Amino acid sequence: MSTAKSRIWDLPTRLMHWALVISIAVCWWTGTHNDLDYHIYSGYAALWIVLMRIYWGFAGASTAQFKNFVRGPRAVIAYVRTLHWRNTAHTPGHNPLGALSVLALLGVVLTVVVQGLFAVDVDGLYSGPMSLYVTFKKGRHLAHLHYQWFEYLLYVIGLHLAAVAFYYVHKRHNLVTPMITGKAHIEEEMTGAPLWRFVLGAVVISAFVWAVSKGFYIF
Amino acid sequence: MSAFRIRCVAVAALFVATAATVAFADPPPAAQIKPRQDKLRDMGGALKAITDEIKKGRIDWDNAVIPNAQTVKDRSVYILNWFPKGSGPEAHVKTYALPAIWQKFDDFTKQGKQLQADAAKLQQVANAKDEAGLKAQVQTIGKTCKACHDPYRSPDYEKDNEE
Repeated sequence: MSTAKSRIWDLPTRLMHWALVISIAVCWWTGTHNDLDYHIYSGYAALWIVLMRIYWGFAGASTAQFKNFVRGPRAVIAYVRTLHWRNTAHTPGHNPLGALSVLALLGVVLTVVVQGLFAVDVDGLYSGPMSLYVTFKKGRHLAHLHYQWFEYLLYVIGLHLAAVAFYYVHKRHNLVTPMITGKAHIEEEMTGAPLWRFVLGAVVISAFVWAVSKGFYIF
Repeated sequence: MSAFRIRCVAVAALFVATAATVAFADPPPAAQIKPRQDKLRDMGGALKAITDEIKKGRIDWDNAVIPNAQTVKDRSVYILNWFPKGSGPEAHVKTYALPAIWQKFDDFTKQGKQLQADAAKLQQVANAKDEAGLKAQVQTIGKTCKACHDPYRSPDYEKDNEE
């Protein structure tokens, strides 16, 4: 193993990762404590982060791009067969199985957020900005699905944490520190993306989330 | 008229009165649960329709706010009739009404009357097409709903998906 550290996660990817953790925690707390004013804001934050992460999966650093880590079922099965090995090499970016975890997390968070955009509370007082387009009954149904799918999200997060713990204990791979510092003892270095791409995406996606928050009644 | 005939008429009158009482008496408490839920849901739907207008930023008073404020007001008038003793969990019909309603019925009644006052005010500001007043009153009525729902409605309603 080389002692030099290489950059494997760029700053936007790391910031989005931890910001998503915080926003989901705030969503969870405010949702279960019926603090729906802040719940709606933290939901917008989660929406912004997930959309940015998806955009970064096309325009971001090499290790953030989907085309570099999302693999077919054969690669996933081949990887799973070697999962119990203890001496596997560190590879930059996500492994084929971890890729599924990334997709599942982004997909489930996005699903929960979209359900929330259309959800209505039982008293008809708090509702997502897009609930203008659905009936009270439909909005209530979506509120229930929003609640139900959040539980699925907790399971996916649990699986993600269990995987991180498994790598740490079984394979002696610390995955948490690189997600904070961006660096790991790996030969290969990632290729970063220019800052302007992040700024461009941030501007466009902020405008979109703002329009969503107005239920597209913006003119 | 003989005493016997008077007695006959009295008994007959008693029968009629009893029959009438049975026929026109309130339905058994359990039968209140479903219509009560429907009516409360109507109120929720009406409030959603009003908040939708506020969110759009261009309020349709005549087609949306006024009729829905009317619904809230009309329903609120009867709200305290929907909770006869025996229409709680002991009715064995699915309900989120907690026994606390009947344990603290004075407080519950006070809350219901507060809603009636707030709903009347809501209708007033709606009819006056007073936008600032409407926004404020929706907030007020929301607090009233919550003040009663928090102690008297089981939080399980969030978990079930049967509405």
